[in-house]
Amino acid sequence: MMERTTLARTTSIWIIAILLLFILSVVLGIIMRLSQGGVISQSPVVFYSQMTTHGFTMIGIWFVAGMVGVNYLMQRYVSAPVKSNIFALLFTIIGVVLLWVTTFVGKFHTGWTFLYPLPFKIAWAGWATPLFFVSLTILGVGWLVWSVSLLMAIFKKYSITRALAWQHFGKNPSFETPPFILITVITLIGVITCLLAAVLLIVLFFAEYFSSGTFVNDPLLMKNLTYFFGHTIANEMLYLGLATLYELFPEVSGRPKWKTTWYVALAWNCTLVFILTAFFHHMYMDFVQPESFQIVGQVASYLASLPAAVVTVFSVLTLIYRNSIRWSLTNVLYFMGVAGWVIGGLGAVIDATITNNLVLHNTLWVPAHFHTYNAMGNVLFSLAFFNWAANRFAGIGESGGANRLKIALLLVGGTGFLLMFYLGGAYSIPRRFNIYPMEFSLAASFARIAAVFAAVYLAAVLIFFWDILRKCLKLLTYSR
Amino acid sequence: MILLLWAPKLYALTPVYNLDEETNIYQPVADIRVTTEEGGIYLSEIYSGRPIILTLVYTRCAGVCNPLLMRLKENIELIDPKREFTILVLSFDPLDTLEDMQGMAKRFTLDEDPRWEFAVSREIDKLNRSIGFNPVRAGAKRQFDHEALLIGINRNGLITKKLIGLRNEAALGAMIVEINDVFVPSYPLPDNKRSFSCFNYDPATGKNSPGWGLLVLSLPATLTLLLVLVIGINSNHEHH
Amino acid sequence: MSDKHEFILVLFLLLAALVAIVFVYVYLSSGAKSSQKEDGKGLNNTQRFWFFLLLTAALFIFASFTIPKSPYYLFEKESPSRVVFVAAQQYYWALSSEAIGPGNPGAGEAIELKRGELVEFRVTSLDVNHGFGIYDESNNLIAQTQAMPGYVNRLRWKFEKPGTYKVLCLEFCGLAHAVMRASFTVR
Repeated sequence: MMERTTLARTTSIWIIAILLLFILSVVLGIIMRLSQGGVISQSPVVFYSQMTTHGFTMIGIWFVAGMVGVNYLMQRYVSAPVKSNIFALLFTIIGVVLLWVTTFVGKFHTGWTFLYPLPFKIAWAGWATPLFFVSLTILGVGWLVWSVSLLMAIFKKYSITRALAWQHFGKNPSFETPPFILITVITLIGVITCLLAAVLLIVLFFAEYFSSGTFVNDPLLMKNLTYFFGHTIANEMLYLGLATLYELFPEVSGRPKWKTTWYVALAWNCTLVFILTAFFHHMYMDFVQPESFQIVGQVASYLASLPAAVVTVFSVLTLIYRNSIRWSLTNVLYFMGVAGWVIGGLGAVIDATITNNLVLHNTLWVPAHFHTYNAMGNVLFSLAFFNWAANRFAGIGESGGANRLKIALLLVGGTGFLLMFYLGGAYSIPRRFNIYPMEFSLAASFARIAAVFAAVYLAAVLIFFWDILRKCLKLLTYSR
Repeated sequence: MILLLWAPKLYALTPVYNLDEETNIYQPVADIRVTTEEGGIYLSEIYSGRPIILTLVYTRCAGVCNPLLMRLKENIELIDPKREFTILVLSFDPLDTLEDMQGMAKRFTLDEDPRWEFAVSREIDKLNRSIGFNPVRAGAKRQFDHEALLIGINRNGLITKKLIGLRNEAALGAMIVEINDVFVPSYPLPDNKRSFSCFNYDPATGKNSPGWGLLVLSLPATLTLLLVLVIGINSNHEHH
Repeated sequence: MSDKHEFILVLFLLLAALVAIVFVYVYLSSGAKSSQKEDGKGLNNTQRFWFFLLLTAALFIFASFTIPKSPYYLFEKESPSRVVFVAAQQYYWALSSEAIGPGNPGAGEAIELKRGELVEFRVTSLDVNHGFGIYDESNNLIAQTQAMPGYVNRLRWKFEKPGTYKVLCLEFCGLAHAVMRASFTVR
């Protein structure tokens, strides 16, 4: 039981750290929208340093949030790793601190995409570029070790074919792979792949950096690697959240657990394959990319999300439809998260169509759709897990209290904030502009309105944080 | 860590891309009269039948002309024979005679090849102006200082591609595609310093042959697959 | 907002509303009168499979309909009557009718295009990645391609409406990204 307690303690430290960083990053986001709205005035360097920090931190924390949930729930099936979890926690903290130092002290501001060769066009402290790659290396190593150890823990009990639920393709499988294990394994394989892409990317950056001009990278390859890593991790972290949903949603709702069937197995195995080529959709406007890749990109983008989404949505909706459900904050968050994920996915599919991408790429439509399935999808999945876990740590049931308020604030804040992005995209307003040119007469107003709604969303997050913090601290201070 | 932070001087951060090949694109080539083995003929009579790869050389060249022709001859062998083109080797030296050029054709054993034409012209200056070619007389040795230049001319007499320097068959293939008016939405600038290019696009066949970069790009998935297999096979399964 | 953007926005909002309605409906259906179906399954496996197949087929039809209209195939059978060379650099656009290079920095040239003529933009970058986005007089994004160092991307376009068109940067390229711009006219 000792080990489980350590895992619970580590998990609660993760939760507190993630929510703290989340609040700071949301604040950065609001500051950026206020700056774009002309309410406050910031230098471009400050603005873009914030943008870089915001992007990296958000991707980082919601990825680890998914990992934390999966790691914690895994102990129901296998002996869940603890050491690598703590290792990753330490590396994440060091990595994030170094990253924030490069952006806030060093004024490093390439955006999270750090497209080659931008990090070498130094417009910041000279040490910030190498420190930036060092911080990425630290995060990458920590997460890679963690993902591999999770996978190893599963493979100790489940063989590869069973972990991937291949026996379900045959008639009358004698062994049932739990959906949680299936999704976790599929996702971890994708996570490891994209982390390795990041490692390669960093190696190539360092190679050029230290070669004194004898080694020059190909911008096309570097861009491909960047999105291989960036797109894939953003996508996989959502699936980590989904894994926890598959495990907890029926349970919290008081319904029988979902079973893995042949089509569930097939859907997730398809996802494993398609997700690795979907990132090509980031490069539709790079006409240099071979056309076959572009077409693969469009088809894979449709197929990467479709099976998983259809299966999940069906499972969730049919579980609820005209059934008596024990609603609590946890399953309401999961339920809303699925809706947000689907709506964001619709925005994504529209943008992943090449002819639309011609007039949407790098407009505000892009942050619109990914903020939808993050802020109103993945974040809610993780908040659901956090809420469930915090209650467990504190040894209490679902509390009522400010639940309705929290949900209302999240919904209103999130919807309003996202709608401004979508409108901005439809008005062709470019993304990543610290100030809007006069021609875009509505852009600044959209930004100001978005800031107000985002503040409403932040209010909900603060209530969540306070509630979850109290419960987590109960565990952390207990028996000390 | 401290060693890593010791920032080396960043060399080559402003790469110089050669944009000379971009000049005169889609401009008409001067319709000059040239003299080949078969007699006088206007360029328009040639390109209206088949698009032209125009090569400018002179027979006394002690420099790049011979390597250029040799490379061109070798590369042409690697190109899909279904593509249509005429290679017009034209002397830009007024001192060259048709016989000199025919001798050159024989030396390269190209005199029997129907795709190759060797020619001289009296209107070479007019041509040079239309294609942006500026050979400069160098000293008394009757030598010229000039670029190794290939001009691609489509069936409408427009310059659709230029290649400067000794280039590989992929570049030549790109030219043959361009003179046949096939639209390729992108092409690389001449810059052979890049490591790990993703794709060696071969426009002659319209296919991408995987470059080293593609191998790099497929490495993460390959490594993961291996890793998963290794972990999976080495694990002790507790199930029955 | 252009017609195309408006269509996209309306389509998205309708779909989003549909999803929201379904979710709210299902939420409201729960709890009250309790379970009529003990297994919690609305559709059986075969029905789900057909639904999935239908959705996939719809998407494939959609893809096969839209892919041929991709910018890589625009006006590919025609020969352009104008070439505009575009070289991006932190933080300005050089547009020129002549190739841009040491002899022709391409700055300050007024580009005038004719209505309806086929123009080919040959877009490259001399430093980092930039995005060549063309905006019409009503500030609608009408077409774009990326400017990547070492490569030339060719965007073919016919401008049907006369007016002043703007070029904005659509790939983050550094601190003055938002003010990197150029313009040309169509008569």
